[in-house]
Amino acid sequence: MTFLRAIAFAALAGAVSAPATFAAELHHIQITAASPSEAVRWYGRHFDCTAVASQPDTADCDGVQLIFAVQPTMGSSQGTGINHIGFSYADVVSKMAELEAVGVRGSGVRLQRFDDGATLRELPGMFLHGFVFDPWGTRIEVLQDPQNEGFHQVHLSATDPAETLDWYRKALGGRPAKFKGREDALRFGDVWLFAAQHPDGKPAPTRSRAVAHIAFDVPDLGRAGPEMRRSGADFESEPETPDNARSPAKRAFLRGPDNVRVAVVESGYAGIASKFEAAAAQEAAEPYAVPRTPWGEPDMQGVWTGNSAHGIPLERPQDLEDVEALTPEQAAARRERGTLGSIWGYEREWRDTTLGYDKMTPSTQVAMIVDPPNGRLPELTAEGKRMAAEAQAERARKAAKTPDGPEDLNMYHRCITRGLPGLMMPGIYNNGLQIVQGPGFVAIQKEMIHETRAIPTKPRQPVGEKLTSWLGDPQGRWEGDTLVVETARLNGRAGYRGATAAARLTERFTRIGPTKLRYEFTIDDPTVWVQPWTATFAFDLDDEQYELVEYACHEGNYGMFNALSGARARDKRAAESGE
Amino acid sequence: MDCRSRGVGTCLAVVAAAAALSAGLPLAAQDDAAPRAYDGHPDLNGVWQAIGTAHWNLEDHPSGPGHPDLGAIGAVPPGQGVVVGGDIPYLETALQQRRKNFENRMTEDPEAKCFLPGVPRATYLPYPLQIIQGDRKIMILYGFAEANRTIHMDKETPEPPPLDSWMGRSHGRWEGDTLVVEAEGFNGQAWLDRAGNFSSSSLRVEERYTPLGSHAIMYEATLTDPEVFSRPWTIRLPLYRRLEEDARVLEFKCVEYAEDLMYGHLRREPTR
Repeated sequence: MTFLRAIAFAALAGAVSAPATFAAELHHIQITAASPSEAVRWYGRHFDCTAVASQPDTADCDGVQLIFAVQPTMGSSQGTGINHIGFSYADVVSKMAELEAVGVRGSGVRLQRFDDGATLRELPGMFLHGFVFDPWGTRIEVLQDPQNEGFHQVHLSATDPAETLDWYRKALGGRPAKFKGREDALRFGDVWLFAAQHPDGKPAPTRSRAVAHIAFDVPDLGRAGPEMRRSGADFESEPETPDNARSPAKRAFLRGPDNVRVAVVESGYAGIASKFEAAAAQEAAEPYAVPRTPWGEPDMQGVWTGNSAHGIPLERPQDLEDVEALTPEQAAARRERGTLGSIWGYEREWRDTTLGYDKMTPSTQVAMIVDPPNGRLPELTAEGKRMAAEAQAERARKAAKTPDGPEDLNMYHRCITRGLPGLMMPGIYNNGLQIVQGPGFVAIQKEMIHETRAIPTKPRQPVGEKLTSWLGDPQGRWEGDTLVVETARLNGRAGYRGATAAARLTERFTRIGPTKLRYEFTIDDPTVWVQPWTATFAFDLDDEQYELVEYACHEGNYGMFNALSGARARDKRAAESGE
Repeated sequence: MDCRSRGVGTCLAVVAAAAALSAGLPLAAQDDAAPRAYDGHPDLNGVWQAIGTAHWNLEDHPSGPGHPDLGAIGAVPPGQGVVVGGDIPYLETALQQRRKNFENRMTEDPEAKCFLPGVPRATYLPYPLQIIQGDRKIMILYGFAEANRTIHMDKETPEPPPLDSWMGRSHGRWEGDTLVVEAEGFNGQAWLDRAGNFSSSSLRVEERYTPLGSHAIMYEATLTDPEVFSRPWTIRLPLYRRLEEDARVLEFKCVEYAEDLMYGHLRREPTR
């Protein structure tokens, strides 16, 4: 042992039993969410927190601030050393009913059900409680403790709960207390701090998870700091006024037990003005020279993704008529809404992974349609209106009953196809697009459902008129650096937005920068629309880290089994109840 | 001449020499040289197809009955095997599984369910395949179940497969005029033919594509799978160029045709 280490050791050993002489209070909880304003609204709507005027990223919940930081969400609080936070209500049954009524779609409320399917459970001798999740992955306990309504607790998950509580007692001056005379805990002001046994190994670090850190307020960090240090607290960063601070108060970070990041702030601390980091996705000012393949064709090869375009609506929203582009914050919020709206029914952990998985800066493009210039689909013809009404009636007919068989589910759920140009469109996941070229051919492989198109770039005779297929018979050509693809012989069973088999589909792929591939398509279907329309978005090269996985969709289509066996179970139940 | 028992090189030389002799021409005058790509390697671009009965059974097999409803259309035609040296060297324990597979083939064969066919089965299914050979990757598009593979020619060190899959991960290199592809990372669920021959997720396949002039490729695949086979073994069969001017790999999305087999029992009016 070196001399210095020996000193450090002695210092630690000497500090064991000294509790802090000051009593910290819980100051804030840092939650990661792509859209702070939306998060503030969410906690206001569902947990009675109030917006803080000078801090647009902060909600005040009975004196505890929830500060929302703009970061990709890397997963739920569950699994880290901060398992959940809790709110108490006098009547938790009606509160839970209210939360359940919100629904889980979009930025809704996700309920965690107990094994018996109930949302609430009696914890004997303690209280009635249940759990929900906010849309960004924070686990929230909703409980009935009439003595202490409102923001109630922070619940840690510890490898050694007693030792963990002892750390918070010594370093931060938490007051030991027994909740309902049974459960060991600490109190910081009104707020309870619990520590439960972590189920398995060491908790994951809180940093960049839904609850990124908890912060405690001490009156004078200059004086409290040395005392914390003496108690054995390990400083990750020294007390200082952070960059972009909204107040001159100091802040420091401690490495808490169980991989929990703990901030200590001085009274008056008002957070930092977070600045959204918009990636410099600006296209180069000078014209870009598209590389060539060794045989002289424009080279578009590589692995691209549509991730940045996910969330761009096809049509321009009514309230964005005169907007040229979204702000990066608006774009991030839009994409997150899109993701949440699409995967609300998925397993929570899987959903958390999806939310955090997308590192590509979201596009600020307002809408995909560029022609007509108003960004909306052209007017339908009379025939188009009739067909749209018919399609809607058919959808309603199917929705009104359990599916008879696979044919009552759509082509995407049956893992058949997303059609053209549907398969090119970005979605919430598996947005990979691999392009491989050989002389005279461009292979375009889309990850989702694993569909691959072999586009000839030299003229060839189209197949006969009777030989129709889902993705048709493509013919490509180079117009300068642009690959133009026209597709004939579509079977019309997966027409995009109601397009028929007779639609003329023209697609244009242009590499507009080292890492940008512009995709544009025009649908000319006079049967349906009074004029052709054109939409565009871009793919980004992600050759270094992205690899298309084998999206064996039909092979693993448990959803089909579940949908149909569920339908038959419902039929049986209906028959039994005599309906 | 028995090409199966010799190496491809020997066999080719013998074939070529025999052809040259019978035509009374010197070898150099053969107007049949394999085309070359921009970089001097053989140019395998094009639409190719196996002919024969390997998709029914890789081993020698007599004719046999198929599904009775289909009469002779469903019957198994007789076929000469493509396994070099005769039979597949199964471990005793694996033979039972093959028997079981065979008995249940009408419903359990992944091909019947329109599942991705795996490697090497995709190659000798009775559908064309298209090779798109570029400068960094080679893509093979198969005519069944939208199967495809990317053969990475640009990875100096083969990268481990990110996860097990039906078609595995493939790395390729040139050995002279032979494209050598190492494939691994399989999920072990694919079969090798309609007779229930199979392998496990430990399977590694080394494929060799050697041009035989401009209109054929000799395809060899050596399968190593210590969980199923007692030693590595090899299949060998030619792939023929589809010479029709408009030859292409047509889209065959077969999911619809497998839905009754898979979900018929869950219909409102059950069909199975």
